[in-house]
Amino acid sequence: MLFDYFGGQCPPYAMSDQHPEIDSFEVRVLRQDAPGERSRWERHRVTYERDMNVISALQKIAAQAETVDGQPVAPVCWDSNCLEEVCGACTMLINGRTRQACTALIDRLMEDCPGEIELRPMSKFPVIRDLVVDRTRLFRALTKVKAWVPVDGYLDRGQGPLRSMEEQQQSYPLSECMSCGCCLEACPQYTKIESTQDESESDEDFSARKSATYDSAFVGAHAISQAVLFNTNPIGKFIAGERLDALTGPGGIQMCGNAQNCVAVCPKEIPLTTSIARAGRSTTLHVLKKWFDR
Amino acid sequence: MPKQRVMVIGGGLAGLAATMKLAELGIDVDLISLTPVKRSHSVCAQGGINSVNARTRQLGDSEDLHLDDTVYGGDFLQHQPPVKEMVYWAPKIIDLMDRLGVTFNRTSEGHLDNRRFGGTLFKRTAFAGATTGQQLLYALDEQVRRWEAEGRVKKFESWNYLGPIIDDAGICRGVVAQDLISMEIRTYPADAVIIATGGCGLLYGRSTMSLVCNGGAVSRTFQAGAKYANAEFIQVHPTAIPGADKLRLMSESARGEGGRVWVPRTPHDERSPREIPESERYYFLEERYPEYGNLVPRDIATREIFNVCVHEGLSVDADRQCVYLDLTHIPREELDRKLGGILSIYEKFQGVDPRDEPMKIFPAVHYSMGGLWVDYERTADGGLNIGSPVNQATNIPRLYAIGECDYQYHGANRLGANSLLSCIFSGLMVAPGIETLLESSDDGTAADQPSSLFEGARRQRQQNFDALLKRPGGGENPYLLHQQLGEVMTRTATVVRFNKDLEQAYATVCDLEQRAAKCSLSDTGNWTNQNVVFTAALIDMFPLAKTLLKGALQRDECRGAHYKPDFAMPGLEATDPAERRRQAEAWCDKFEERNAKWLKSTVAVLDEDGEPQLAYEEVDTSLVPPRPRLYGLVGAEAIEEVWKERVAVN
Amino acid sequence: MTDTGPQGSFLVRHDFLIRRLHSLSGLVPVGAYMVVHLLVNSSILASTTIFQDNVDRIHSVGPVALQVIEWVFIFIPILFHAVFGVVIIAGGVPNTGEYRYGSNIRYTLQRATGIIAFFFIAWHLWHMHHYFAPLGGGNFQHQHASSSAAIALSSLPVKIGYAVGVLACCFHLANGLWTMGITWGVWTSPRAQKHATTVCAVFGIGLACLGLSAMSGFGDVDIKAAEEMERLRIQEKKYIEGKEERPTNSRRGVDRDSGG
Repeated sequence: MLFDYFGGQCPPYAMSDQHPEIDSFEVRVLRQDAPGERSRWERHRVTYERDMNVISALQKIAAQAETVDGQPVAPVCWDSNCLEEVCGACTMLINGRTRQACTALIDRLMEDCPGEIELRPMSKFPVIRDLVVDRTRLFRALTKVKAWVPVDGYLDRGQGPLRSMEEQQQSYPLSECMSCGCCLEACPQYTKIESTQDESESDEDFSARKSATYDSAFVGAHAISQAVLFNTNPIGKFIAGERLDALTGPGGIQMCGNAQNCVAVCPKEIPLTTSIARAGRSTTLHVLKKWFDR
Repeated sequence: MPKQRVMVIGGGLAGLAATMKLAELGIDVDLISLTPVKRSHSVCAQGGINSVNARTRQLGDSEDLHLDDTVYGGDFLQHQPPVKEMVYWAPKIIDLMDRLGVTFNRTSEGHLDNRRFGGTLFKRTAFAGATTGQQLLYALDEQVRRWEAEGRVKKFESWNYLGPIIDDAGICRGVVAQDLISMEIRTYPADAVIIATGGCGLLYGRSTMSLVCNGGAVSRTFQAGAKYANAEFIQVHPTAIPGADKLRLMSESARGEGGRVWVPRTPHDERSPREIPESERYYFLEERYPEYGNLVPRDIATREIFNVCVHEGLSVDADRQCVYLDLTHIPREELDRKLGGILSIYEKFQGVDPRDEPMKIFPAVHYSMGGLWVDYERTADGGLNIGSPVNQATNIPRLYAIGECDYQYHGANRLGANSLLSCIFSGLMVAPGIETLLESSDDGTAADQPSSLFEGARRQRQQNFDALLKRPGGGENPYLLHQQLGEVMTRTATVVRFNKDLEQAYATVCDLEQRAAKCSLSDTGNWTNQNVVFTAALIDMFPLAKTLLKGALQRDECRGAHYKPDFAMPGLEATDPAERRRQAEAWCDKFEERNAKWLKSTVAVLDEDGEPQLAYEEVDTSLVPPRPRLYGLVGAEAIEEVWKERVAVN
Repeated sequence: MTDTGPQGSFLVRHDFLIRRLHSLSGLVPVGAYMVVHLLVNSSILASTTIFQDNVDRIHSVGPVALQVIEWVFIFIPILFHAVFGVVIIAGGVPNTGEYRYGSNIRYTLQRATGIIAFFFIAWHLWHMHHYFAPLGGGNFQHQHASSSAAIALSSLPVKIGYAVGVLACCFHLANGLWTMGITWGVWTSPRAQKHATTVCAVFGIGLACLGLSAMSGFGDVDIKAAEEMERLRIQEKKYIEGKEERPTNSRRGVDRDSGG
């Protein structure tokens, strides 16, 4: 029993637990073999166990490699890593809602929709395969807003500036952003960009072209919030102007439509709309100042 | 002439620290990572990072005490000069991370706040809520992104390292890697290669580690001829949350902030925990270890929790093993400010608010103290010669290892909040050494090596891959084999180890290895094929698993996380002072004898048949002489007295 | 999405400024004008004469100046706000179906009401503005403000059309005010945004009441009496200007309030 806990199968279903009536459930997965291919629905049946989440369901699907009709199929591909909602890898659409698969507990999902779960890849990023998407654009936005502290170097320079508890408590939530992409997926202003490599184009040229395209499109709530985080850092704010330039450039904060889905779906409950409003204020002042300083 | 380049494998704390430091030194870096580096396993580190600080110093703390705690906690199995260098760098590392924008918790005056961690009596640990690893990783990720924007660093994310390229002279000249999306296999010439790929928790099926921690990169380096040391030392963390897919860490910081571990004195007491009065609660760690209380070193806390559940039958639940970790006596606001991150993990996965209800936790495999064998260059005063290309070098020239995947810093047991330190330290420290190496190279750059070297290496990896893809159907299922591997490893090579189990386990693992060679793939495509990548990783787990089991089997003693009841040294039973004295003398004799035989690093190489061959190397204990590790032992005072007399005589 | 680097077209390079202008133009002058317009209209509730007074006051600047004011402060800003609004709408993909949050529903409604307002204002202009009189529209005659408006608004379909249009405009302005506070960084914290929601809701509901009550006011106008009042006033004005005899009250001899 003890070792069951550690590595083996979960203990058999205990009498007192939540779903005695369910012994299996169906998972509908929207599959796509490669970019540009057509997508299709596929159904899998998974045996219910205690403490399951969508990841463990997908692991079972991979091990079975068989649809509900007994058709042998390639295992479904998905992204995941930490399984405790701090790495941001396993974001997907579960019953239509963007969230992490690791914290999507089967018991909770069964309460909402008994016996069935629907999985789709994120819709705002190009699908690589099945539930795996290419979120390069999300990271590119962090480069665009220069989301870093421009220190002189990594040799010892003594302690950093003092910061109040209050400042720390304002910054900490913003620095918890794990670049999962939920805020972008739910944002009606953030639209999908899918580029395809030309035959004649080298990998470097293609990635440069992709980056340029990404740079002119909406940066998204996560990047705006990171810009605010670094603009309030005592050293980070030395290049606040450069970040505000990025936020007022093409694809900047002006694209925000104030639907506020970002803050509603953020798994880390980051006050994204507060960040957006703060960035709104500083970009306004920044542009006015620049205009008069001409 | 092409410029020299360095290849870093792995984008966790260590890999990123090395990358940014190399970039600062003007060296071009390529960085290969299985995941976008921001999603590396370092994000899971929760509690904090240790260093002596202004406040502890005034209470009598010093770097030498940090060194002492670390090597005593690690049961003296680590070479002491690198540890000394690390603890002396620690305050500077904290300052650097502070400057890089890490949102460390603050005191009301604006200084960094500190908490106490296991194995020390000082509040040394700086922390950012309960997501310190995440915050530190992000700070380094940001710096690397900055260098990437300047063109100094090139990242290859979603690439899998397949192995080093070693020329006829035995020198590492680059790596072979595979794109996990297009499955393309490519070579990267490199003038130095740094392995920074973390631990190997997946050997155990479920652990507190992330899914990328399969040990594959280390295993392939090991298979290419690198030495692997202290494999048998695997830390089992005392407190984790159960799960079907993962055992989620519940940070030591919960105890550092005052969390108390207990079980009801009545087995499987059915009352809700808050209704159980104090007098009926058994705070077993506090009772047995009055000095350290809930903050004894991890190996000890783990064994006690294990013991209270398994041997004393006091598990909270009847149908599974667990004890209470109780924070309910601490004000909610304080909990949110200092531990919010881990409490919300518990809440999300267990559906219970740990601010109201004690958490139910149990130990889980957590960290690998062992890893690739690496060297160092000692100075006369017992520190490291920074800038020496020998530091962190494996036995393969130009191939380095840092972070959790080296064996150097934690001995037989790691202290909490020392791992983040060792990762960043080894990353920063390896860079000047490599700079020296590159400056002193006179045999051209790696890119100047004959193309046949690279093409040959690529072709061989491609053939292996193609062969794996073309496996006939109807064979073994890799996922089920992995599950079986995890079961046997967990049953035999975790908290308590017995030779007969380890022997059996070794045979089982060899059998599984042969079966793994007959795996069939359910996906034979050549695009984002996770099935083949998993199968390859599984096959690479066996050399490490075998080394681990063999090391555990051969090491007939108890040291740190490696605990064999058959070779334990129990406390003193006698009450009569003379008899007690005699027993203490005998105990110390046995201890000296044991150290003479076993105070040695296990160093493994793989022979041609893929079998690990073990050798034992002396440990440099010249700075802190080994002494009995007496946490909570009955008769500890008597033993200590005898031991002190002996030391004085010598 | 087309490939446009930072050195893209004028519109792309100045996107921030244009969108800020769009946001601003919604409040000033367009929103402000709308408030004034509804206030003037609702003066019909007081009496046809007061309404006529207000209209006359507006027209007292003279036809040329009025046209300049109309174009500079009303038509061009509205046109800009509308045309660029369509561009903004085209750039988003509403997802209220998937994410049924209040603010998301308001996001979608903002766009829907924007489109309604666009067509409503176009129709309203054709329907009332004298430019379109030769084309069969332009029913409003400023010298016969009450009666011509009441006649124009008398049929049920028109009433429904105006009710929908006015409500859409009110929502669009009130919600636009709320989003503007975030866009410009006036209300930043969740608490402030919550308070702003209340303030904007009260403003919007008030504005809608104003608009709808003005409409009911036009519905209650005694058209004959109004025409008579207007006729007298026109004559009076001509008399003052020395062009005609002093007017007499032909029917009821009522000159309740000449506003004189």
